[in-house]
Amino acid sequence: MGSELLKGFRMLDLTDEKGALCGKIFADMGADVIKVEPPAGCSTRTIPPFLDDLPGPDRSLYAIAYHAGKRSVTLNLDSADGRALFRKLADTADFLVESFPLDYMNERGLGYEELSRSNPRLIYTSITPFGDRGPASRYRAADIVSWAAGGMMYLMGEEGKPPLELSLPQAGLHAGAEAAVASLIAHYPRELDGVGQHIVIDMQACVVSTLMNEQAMPLLHGDYLRRSGIYTGAIGGRRKTIFRCKDGYISGLLAGGAYLPSTNAIIDWMKEEQAAPEWLAQPGGLKALTPAGFMNATEADFRELEMAEEAFERFLMTKTKAEIWQNILRRRILAAPVATVADIAQDPHLAARGYFVKIDHPHLDRELTFPGAFAKMSVTPVGPAGPSPQLGQHNHEVYCELLGLAPELLVQLRAIGAI
Amino acid sequence: MRKYAFDGIHVLDFTWYAVGPVTTKYLADNGAEVIRIESSTRLDGLRMAPPWKDAKPGINNSQFFASYNTSKKGITLDMSKPKAREIFLKLLPWADIVAESFTPKTLRQWELDYEHLRAIKPDLIMLSTCMQGQTGPHRDYPGFGNLMAALAGFYYLAGYSESELCPPYGAYTDFIAPRFSACALIAALDYRRRTGKGQYIDMAQYEAALHNLAPALIDYFSSGRVLGPLGNRSARFAPHGAYRCADEDGHERWLALAVASDHEWQEMLKVLGNPPTDCRFDTMLGRMQNREALDSFLAQVLRQHRADRLTATLQAVGVSAYPVQNCLDLHDDENLQAFEYWHWLDHSVMGPSPYEGLQHRLSRTPGHLRSPAPALGQHNDEILGGLLKMSSAEIEQLKQEKVVF
Repeated sequence: MGSELLKGFRMLDLTDEKGALCGKIFADMGADVIKVEPPAGCSTRTIPPFLDDLPGPDRSLYAIAYHAGKRSVTLNLDSADGRALFRKLADTADFLVESFPLDYMNERGLGYEELSRSNPRLIYTSITPFGDRGPASRYRAADIVSWAAGGMMYLMGEEGKPPLELSLPQAGLHAGAEAAVASLIAHYPRELDGVGQHIVIDMQACVVSTLMNEQAMPLLHGDYLRRSGIYTGAIGGRRKTIFRCKDGYISGLLAGGAYLPSTNAIIDWMKEEQAAPEWLAQPGGLKALTPAGFMNATEADFRELEMAEEAFERFLMTKTKAEIWQNILRRRILAAPVATVADIAQDPHLAARGYFVKIDHPHLDRELTFPGAFAKMSVTPVGPAGPSPQLGQHNHEVYCELLGLAPELLVQLRAIGAI
Repeated sequence: MRKYAFDGIHVLDFTWYAVGPVTTKYLADNGAEVIRIESSTRLDGLRMAPPWKDAKPGINNSQFFASYNTSKKGITLDMSKPKAREIFLKLLPWADIVAESFTPKTLRQWELDYEHLRAIKPDLIMLSTCMQGQTGPHRDYPGFGNLMAALAGFYYLAGYSESELCPPYGAYTDFIAPRFSACALIAALDYRRRTGKGQYIDMAQYEAALHNLAPALIDYFSSGRVLGPLGNRSARFAPHGAYRCADEDGHERWLALAVASDHEWQEMLKVLGNPPTDCRFDTMLGRMQNREALDSFLAQVLRQHRADRLTATLQAVGVSAYPVQNCLDLHDDENLQAFEYWHWLDHSVMGPSPYEGLQHRLSRTPGHLRSPAPALGQHNDEILGGLLKMSSAEIEQLKQEKVVF
């Protein structure tokens, strides 16, 4: 196991849920990622749910998912002996990523200025909820708060009801992945001239970057989008995007423009199965369907579209997600099942690509199944590099074998609470 | 000293829509020379999508396209014409990276797939990114990111309940995949520098996006549990959600907050002026078990407060809170401004236009939006005349033959 891509490079990972994915991506690419945790464990180890619903520091599914392939050491940065040990470790590192409050590392003498003095190669990446310069730079941000600050939350939900976040919080994942990209951007010139740098990641901006074309809309079109449940709020008409079917939901759109061939394919399919109302089955039955989209559609056209949507949903209600998906693929319809994790786990396409991988976790007496390679690389395959570590599992390996500490000293450091 | 991280790196960019262009934008904004190869016969769909400058549609008027193509140059080649293929092959030796995001069969039809290109340039790094990857039964599925967000499980995690789904806005997975493909590309560049070896990267946007669902997938495989929409319920925080505050200028205002401990809850009650409360709310477990009552209590109390003022007072006592911002608020946000997130660039056709900036800042080799997006074919003369040293007569001929088109 272990990719050749970043083999030989070491990252110290001091993040919590605001950045765990950064080290995971690096571990998938073959870097030696050492998760440096407080003696009580990183807070990600307390995130539910837990394996078999049995809480415990090594059983959080979030921690299992995003620490796989990393090594774990414990270290108390509030102890002077712990900090001295950390400096030694940082001297061996190529990358460091952290997500502490803004002053935390500086106050402990472990900021970029200090650490780069003895290790000028170091690339030091700080993940911050609101950047490092604005009035909120010292604010706290649970994931839902970043989701709100970055504008995505306002766009999710029904008008008049509370805005929503996803049931698997996402802001920290975007920030972690951005930290991975930025660290690699700095890596490229560092390998040419040997000089690292400090990077700041703005988590709020990472959420803004997911808003697609919406962020510039108010400046150019004079208004901002409101959340609208399962309807698109895009310019040119409110259109339904989720339809019920026999065993769940299908996402699709009846529209012109880029969707015109797909909408015609849907109508043809309904005609074949005698499910299209007479008016819809006639050529030109849907007047709003033009290559230009809805630019010239009238009120009457939109009423007709709504009737077509109702007929489409009645048709879908006679079929399962799986049957509909087969037709989507065969007829080149722009639609997709609203998949659950169960549907994804059983997807024959992912199986054919050998996507999911099993990783043995001896300390849990279990093999666990993980999402596999985020990309297939022909020369340096990447992917999960190993199990998720137990808290402090690699203390001896890292402190004694890597840094050369005597085993007796390790015992002593543990006794005084430094590790 | 280097100015940008990728000074001297060259990219030929066949990508379109969002994932590919956002990926190559990481390289372009950090100094790489990126040439977008487009064609009037096969327009990038984003050129035909809003927002438009002055709300006027036009292929050179879309800020949607412009946002993802900063710092790049643009040429037009109709690849269905053999002469266009010849021009591309003349550009190939210049390139370190070729990126494309068509459905898998397109480049094979043009005989410009990796096998063909590596025969000419063995150390080439090539990225192909599409919905479901280059292999497997569904590889030719031609979707958009909004459909992938449904297929990859995100729609089902969004809503008040199973019967009231409310999907994330837009093409959500289009903004997950680029960070993964950028990592693969940049690490491959460094690997090539060290070993001399190029390689092929087959990126399925589906497979990258599923990394943002990893805990739920591992959970399903181990327990059979299917995660669904939870409203804003959390197993870690209570309260946890968005609560409506006092309206401002006739507009609704909501505050997002998460309370992590009983101490934070007590501090929050003080900030709210110690309103009469229910003793069931005193403990975390009590608040979780009586979530609906808790939410209606807060809905009533917070309606009397302004979201911005509560943010400051709650943060001062250590409670995580911020207003739920709409897209207009984002442009007025002092924190995004302090990070220099918003920029106005002078586009050759659109004039001054609003761009979003980088989400990272490097201290030594900072990237930035080096130029606005190219108009369609804006750099035809510069690239063909400069890089390929064609005469203006030759270029004119190619334009007339609609090869450069």
